Amino acid sequence: MTENKPANPLEMIAYVLSQQIEDGEIVYIGTGLPMVAGILAKKTHAPNLTLVYESGAQNPISGAMPWSVGGPATWRKSPMILEMSYSFGQMYNGYVDKAFLGYAQIDMYGNVNTHMIGGDFHNYKNRLTGSGGNNDLSSLARHLILVGLQNPQKFVKNLDFMTSVGFLNGGDSRAKAGLVGGGPQAVITSAGVYDFEPETKRMRIKSLHPGVSPELAQLATGFELLKPSGEIPVTPLPTKEIIEILRKEVDPGGVFTSMPS
Amino acid sequence: MGKFAYNKEVLANLRIDEKETHLLDRLLDYESARAAHEKKNHAAVDKRLSIQEAIAEYVKPGDILTDTGFAYVRTPIVSYLEIIRQNIKGLQNIGSPATNQSYMTNFGIVTHSHWSYCGAEMRGTDRNMSRNVKAGKTKILSEWSHGSMAQGFKAAQLGLPGVYSKQMLGSDLIKYNPFVKVVENPMKSEKDPCLFIPALYPDVTIIHVHQADMYGNCRIYGPVINDAAIAAAARKVIITAEEIVPPSAMRSDTKNVVIPFQYVDAVVEMPYGALFGSMPGLYYWPRRFWEKMLRYWAYKEGAIDEWYDLVIKGCKDQFDIIDKMLGGSKWMAYAKRLTKAEEYDNEDIGVDFHYKEWTLDDPNPDDLSV
Repeated sequence: MTENKPANPLEMIAYVLSQQIEDGEIVYIGTGLPMVAGILAKKTHAPNLTLVYESGAQNPISGAMPWSVGGPATWRKSPMILEMSYSFGQMYNGYVDKAFLGYAQIDMYGNVNTHMIGGDFHNYKNRLTGSGGNNDLSSLARHLILVGLQNPQKFVKNLDFMTSVGFLNGGDSRAKAGLVGGGPQAVITSAGVYDFEPETKRMRIKSLHPGVSPELAQLATGFELLKPSGEIPVTPLPTKEIIEILRKEVDPGGVFTSMPS
Repeated sequence: MGKFAYNKEVLANLRIDEKETHLLDRLLDYESARAAHEKKNHAAVDKRLSIQEAIAEYVKPGDILTDTGFAYVRTPIVSYLEIIRQNIKGLQNIGSPATNQSYMTNFGIVTHSHWSYCGAEMRGTDRNMSRNVKAGKTKILSEWSHGSMAQGFKAAQLGLPGVYSKQMLGSDLIKYNPFVKVVENPMKSEKDPCLFIPALYPDVTIIHVHQADMYGNCRIYGPVINDAAIAAAARKVIITAEEIVPPSAMRSDTKNVVIPFQYVDAVVEMPYGALFGSMPGLYYWPRRFWEKMLRYWAYKEGAIDEWYDLVIKGCKDQFDIIDKMLGGSKWMAYAKRLTKAEEYDNEDIGVDFHYKEWTLDDPNPDDLSV
């Protein structure tokens, strides 16, 4: 990893995700790229950020990239570690500003599948991990940010299983189902940044990464993407300094941000 | 035991026959859990047993067993290996996470699963579990999120029939969970759907702790996850402890004492009892073991038999695992150095966390020492 190389797609996702964080916030972190983004934000524009993890870890001091959301780096010198039920409870009670989550499949309303791919509950192609904290964060977070790769197998018209509810069937259906919190605020992918149109709650292009056209983004999507009025902004790239912090200080081993060879 | 009113549609979705609902009842059966708790010896007595004795006495075929700790953090994996050795069949498994049920489904040990998460994060998909569920080696009895299952255990610890939750609403999880019901908030004048989650009472739990006294008072350092709640709920509680301390140690320093002795049936001294997982403050994961588990032993049909030969037949206890699979005393020093440096109890400048991930074409596939 030389310092002059531009950000690879995973580094780009981590950077854009980190930009969703404002200083002073409390952010609930899932495994993988969310950990990278949270730590990057803390080392750059959001030093007063508090990271919390589903294992109950609260506000660790900076250190090595966590190998797991249950590992010592997530509670490195934490003043306290909450039991799991209390850790999710603080989200219902309004103490968590944002939650970062991954997906195996996502639909146009930001609903998420992490259960199974292909077929049905009993006769599937692959069974995945299940909800873990995914459903809890989607159900309760004030603002939910979803993150992952974008292709027609992942951005699908119909989920094979709805693990977690984003905007359910659109409109006010999320609130009617009894869920609290604002639902998904953004989806960050290898192609761009998406938000949700306020009335229909359908996914809409917010910005596309350099070199990605709206046609290409649509080709990578199994449902119709809404477009903003006017020109589609290009997602700003990370500066050289930020790439260097990412590579040297945040994920020096490339655990989550090196591209599979 | 009272009768329980399960949602018929959910039973049909899970393909649970109405004659099979007895499989579900005990998890909700407060009366029998309370009776089991009443029947225990409530005096503080010496409860120390060997792991062989504790498993033989307290884990019975068909029991609902919990997974405790956090997947591969402070999880009593060495005790699960003893359950496999004693070939205790037909267990139900519940836990959030419940990662360790996977290898127990291969040998008829776990045949029914309550699911919130099974896997090891970025190490890869657990294809072993995916195959075994599809093949019917284990049957899924309920789907949960971490937080909602945690609320069920917490309700039991609090001594409540259940809790009203705001999780799982609207999702497919509630179509595949016979234990929860959507109800209206009785205190609101407008509609306010909530999820009723009943208190959950597993039959038996094994919890690995840092210190226990011979009566069963337990100290846990690091994340407690759901274990304080599960210890209060379970009908039978086995504690395995890295060390046994005198009762006066619990009285003179009450910090992190989270399980009181009265819940506990057996206390087992078991250093390195969380292997192949990590133990906060004491030892780091053998990371390449988990990668090999997900990328090889779980990946291909039959490969888990090699794991069985190595781990169950080839090792009689955790010391054998350390000596034969992880590299002996060097691993012990290395694993302690990493965990204490990552926790910043020890200086971390100069401590090298770098290692080579285990891959299918690994030049040293048997090297699991980092």
